[in-house]
Amino acid sequence: MSEKKLELINISKSYPDGQETRLILDDLSLSVAGGEFVAIVGPSGSGKSTLLSIAGLLLSPDSGRILISGNEISGRSAKERTLLRRNHIGFIFQSHQLLPYLKTVDQLNLVRGKKTASDINAYELLSELGIENCANKYPSKMSGGEKQRVAIARAFINDPEIILADEPTASLDASRGRSVAEMIRDAVKKRNKASVMVTHDTRILDLADTVYKLEGGKLVL
Amino acid sequence: MKHAYKEILFGKKKYILIEILLILLMFMVLFLSGLAEGLGRAVTSAIENMDADHFIIDDSAEQLITVSSIETEDFDTVASIAGTNAAPLDIQRMYIKKAGEDEKINMTYFAIKPGSFTEPSVFEGTGLSESSAPNPILLDDDYKLEGIELNDKVYDSSTDIEFTVAGFVDDEMYGHTSVGFISTVSYTALREALSPMYTPKYHAIAIKGDFDESALPKGLELVPKQEVIESIPSYSAEHTTITMIVWVLIVVSAVIIGIFNYILTLQKRRQFGIMKAIGMTSGELAGIIVSEVCIISVFAAVVSLALTFAMAAGLPETMPFYLTVANAVTATAVFVVVSVFSSLLSIVNISRIDPVTVIGGGEE
Repeated sequence: MSEKKLELINISKSYPDGQETRLILDDLSLSVAGGEFVAIVGPSGSGKSTLLSIAGLLLSPDSGRILISGNEISGRSAKERTLLRRNHIGFIFQSHQLLPYLKTVDQLNLVRGKKTASDINAYELLSELGIENCANKYPSKMSGGEKQRVAIARAFINDPEIILADEPTASLDASRGRSVAEMIRDAVKKRNKASVMVTHDTRILDLADTVYKLEGGKLVL
Repeated sequence: MKHAYKEILFGKKKYILIEILLILLMFMVLFLSGLAEGLGRAVTSAIENMDADHFIIDDSAEQLITVSSIETEDFDTVASIAGTNAAPLDIQRMYIKKAGEDEKINMTYFAIKPGSFTEPSVFEGTGLSESSAPNPILLDDDYKLEGIELNDKVYDSSTDIEFTVAGFVDDEMYGHTSVGFISTVSYTALREALSPMYTPKYHAIAIKGDFDESALPKGLELVPKQEVIESIPSYSAEHTTITMIVWVLIVVSAVIIGIFNYILTLQKRRQFGIMKAIGMTSGELAGIIVSEVCIISVFAAVVSLALTFAMAAGLPETMPFYLTVANAVTATAVFVVVSVFSSLLSIVNISRIDPVTVIGGGEE
């Protein structure tokens, strides 16, 4: 195993729920190494989305620390977190979430430009995912599987350390869902990314290196 | 800019409808401002076009040339200082008749010194000083529509003094009537025919360039041309009203763009959330919105400018339409600037979008 790329240490998060506050994440810790593909399952409302949002720097935890490649992220300003997301985190959302008015190449180039370290060739990435023929298509002209693969390409384009996937197979049928999950895993392995996937699709759990269950605000194996 | 351009191109149908609406609005604004300016010019153009910078009038006249009265000695005093940069001016509203007809035609006489800087240049015929006729007159080209032609005889309706049309001039109106330029000599003859007691006087002295106020004869004042124009009865009232309407329309159209943009932004909140989640800064998103509004409003401005000037070229002579490129460009520039400002509403809205909403099914 290579070094830890994503570390969540003693994360707690609670939400007001009516009169009371509900503890969603209770002193939770998670670390993911490069090339590791982690799946997190749990019933809805268990806090999977909250965990992913915190790992993705979209939400600040009430307490705890976040480290990306060993660098402390907690306490950074919103603007800094935006740039960290852009350069160090790739998101794959439930249903593709591509912009309807951009061709594939433009979708990929949307967040490029500020990164200096890497210069991944968009066409190479697309052919690796088997969708080089979609480079100049609008999302409306692509199938669901193709769109989700473009979304995967978008997550990898800035060569981030971390890939976060939010139910990436939810909008696809079983076989397409599996092939999309395989693609995420293969890309994660090949590029040595730390990857966390939230899902409730149990048929793809065998693809993950580690499967955690989120229960009572804690992760259990 | 590129992003906004691609988005607009993708949503052509939607944006074309918005553009049509804006072009119509802008066209209406420009057309109205042309009419407003034209109406204003119908009151003042003969003064505005005169190559004078100041007018000397009597200080009890409240800057009105027509009620001012200047003695000939005072004119001589001024002329001895200013030389050829001073010229007498009389303005008199009367009627003329065509030969053999009884119908009276409105006419404002501008009595000037032939050959001086106050004489407008003719586009047809000859100037007053070059004419050999006893009482030459230069007519505004509107009189052509009355069937008056070069070298025709026209008659002053109250004195029957005969004038010969020596030439035609362009865009010379005063107080909603077209102007005829005659010589001071003809004017004196006219006044003497009306009243045998008449002693030559002038209404005003037109001054080209500056004049030392301390050298003014007693009881006279030096008034800048713009003030004289603004003092013409009804000018200010008409002008401010119509100008007001035009500016209100410009602002309203620009705000409409802002509202459209806001509605479009509300529809795209989710897309903006995604863009924020994948690391686009609020500045970049604001840039997209501003460039979208810029593209839409500049396009509408250019098309409506072209339309307006194309139509102005086809308007009949009598239509009081006068739109300078400078005025039209100012109006459209204000329109573009106000539209960009109104897009701030959308920018505030997207800056409040929390990207965390896109995680976990993402219902907002």
